[in-house]
Amino acid sequence: MLLFSYLLLGGLTSGALYSLVALGLVVVNKSTGIVNFAQGELFMFCGFLAWTVHVQFGLAYPFAFLAAIAGGFVLGVVTDRVAFRSLAKTDVVGLVLATVGLAFVLRGSARMIWGGKGDYLSFPPITSPEPIMVGTIMIVPQQMAALAGALVIMLAFAAFFRFSRAGKIMRATADNAKAATLVGISIQNVYTLAFGTGAAIAGAAAVLAAPLSLLYPDMGFAFFIKGFAAAVLGGLNSLSGAVVGGLLVGIVESMAGGYIHSNMMEVAPFVLIMLVLIVCPTGILSLYKARDV
Amino acid sequence: MALFSRRNVLAILLMFALVVPAFANAYHLFVANLIVIYVLLAIGLNILVGYAGQLAFANAAMFGIGAYGPALLQVHLSWPFYLAFPAGAMVAMAVGLMISLPALRLSGLYLALSTLAFAQFAQWVFLHWDTMTFGAGGFKSPPISFAPLPLSKPVGLYYLSLITAVCVTLFAQNVVASRIGRAFVAVRDSEIAAQSLGVDLLKYKALAFGISGFTAGLAGGLYSQLLNFVSPEGFDLFQMVIQKSMIVVGGLGSIAGSALGAAAIVIILELLREAKGAQEVLFGAVLIFFVTFLRGGIVGMLRQHLRGWDEPLRGTRTVKAKPAPQVRFDEKESLP
Repeated sequence: MLLFSYLLLGGLTSGALYSLVALGLVVVNKSTGIVNFAQGELFMFCGFLAWTVHVQFGLAYPFAFLAAIAGGFVLGVVTDRVAFRSLAKTDVVGLVLATVGLAFVLRGSARMIWGGKGDYLSFPPITSPEPIMVGTIMIVPQQMAALAGALVIMLAFAAFFRFSRAGKIMRATADNAKAATLVGISIQNVYTLAFGTGAAIAGAAAVLAAPLSLLYPDMGFAFFIKGFAAAVLGGLNSLSGAVVGGLLVGIVESMAGGYIHSNMMEVAPFVLIMLVLIVCPTGILSLYKARDV
Repeated sequence: MALFSRRNVLAILLMFALVVPAFANAYHLFVANLIVIYVLLAIGLNILVGYAGQLAFANAAMFGIGAYGPALLQVHLSWPFYLAFPAGAMVAMAVGLMISLPALRLSGLYLALSTLAFAQFAQWVFLHWDTMTFGAGGFKSPPISFAPLPLSKPVGLYYLSLITAVCVTLFAQNVVASRIGRAFVAVRDSEIAAQSLGVDLLKYKALAFGISGFTAGLAGGLYSQLLNFVSPEGFDLFQMVIQKSMIVVGGLGSIAGSALGAAAIVIILELLREAKGAQEVLFGAVLIFFVTFLRGGIVGMLRQHLRGWDEPLRGTRTVKAKPAPQVRFDEKESLP
């Protein structure tokens, strides 16, 4: 029971973080049709930004959090303006390669800026590192903090889409881009907004993840591919699907690591992705929907 | 016949490549050999991505399989290199064919994800199947000797790579110009239209994956000999991006472009060998720049500016067709 609860909580925590990465991917994909292969690197870069604010400048954790979100938003907007805007009409291959290029620019910049400091930077935890025993269940406060933070972000995100003007505009564009243009929505601005929002959520996820995993320039890819897996599990187009997919990836990874072999932890998500793509390529939630022709 | 036609340029480059060992020092010969190996990789990948339009990310893994295969056959079963080398390429081709099975159902991004997952899986196997692959530390592969021929190992390997690359280039040129190449392009441009013309999607997708797997396998075998060492590090995502940037820089859908792009990227890579961060930034920037502003790559530029650069079966659609001659209304009206 101890092992199971420990694995489950660990899986849920990392799963919630994957969900956040997946949400960023889905937001961008829903509005623009692009899968941002740089999402993991945006995540990594924002983590380093928060580290600079928190550790180097000595500002409090909430400031680091805000800095990461704001930094993510600005990065997303800038990349959209610089690279993606001129690509709006090209094919999937071009778009994917451009985002891959962006990923490497970010990774290399992070290595040049922060890489010299021992490569692995530790982010101070928000809570005490001692685990708490509740009956036979062991709880790691840091994990709980990350999980709670992720839930708050998801709720805030849902509220943003449901109630705010910007969120409504994005939903309208995702529903029907032509109709959105007709009522006076600028599609270009929605694209920029989507990239910004997607990167901002990656920034928020990074600050939550940083105390649990160390910060290093190559961390982005692992988070990206698991977030991508989560997004695909959810069908690449559904926000709730992304959350469910992320939790599933996290739990599978954690269980495989605990019950089979710790080596399996790295590879279990990939096996899961390949199986899902072979069995039902349009995501788990689509099993309940009629297939459109 | 223009002086700078594609055929002439390639022939001049080949002649240059033939005499490289005469004046190059050991390091330059190493770089030249690396370029030749990457030409193989880029051609295979260009057939898969540029011609057949399959957005696959498994080429680094195939390259790895091609490197591990022959080296392990030599170490564990003490096969001679001349048997292990083609056998490794065959294994890589078989894996390529295996990957193509899900590719029939998946397209675009989903294919990208499944092949990425496969690449990660392959790297995990290289890392953790200790008894077979010697784990993260890698292992030495036994060096080949060109005993009866009066060649030192680096020079011999260089010529072996060059001969392989020339054969593969000729093979690829012919494949691309043949019915198969046209089928690839048809699949890339529209799967539905291709099917309605009687192109068997499974067959041609599998063929594209098989060819790219085979060439990556050949390249891997030569690479393991070039380094005399095999470790999981060289076959990661960065490797994949290097190869992708080669075909983008050279020109998607062009065999000559693959060769030019491979040479350009390897040279940039070697110049920046000291700084990994700068290497990554430059690569990313090159990739974005070419995708955004120069979709045709180097070949696209050459085609525009060099008269007589005859590119068979144009790959990308960047070069605009000449505007149709406009019928002027006054001419029409003046007709009797």
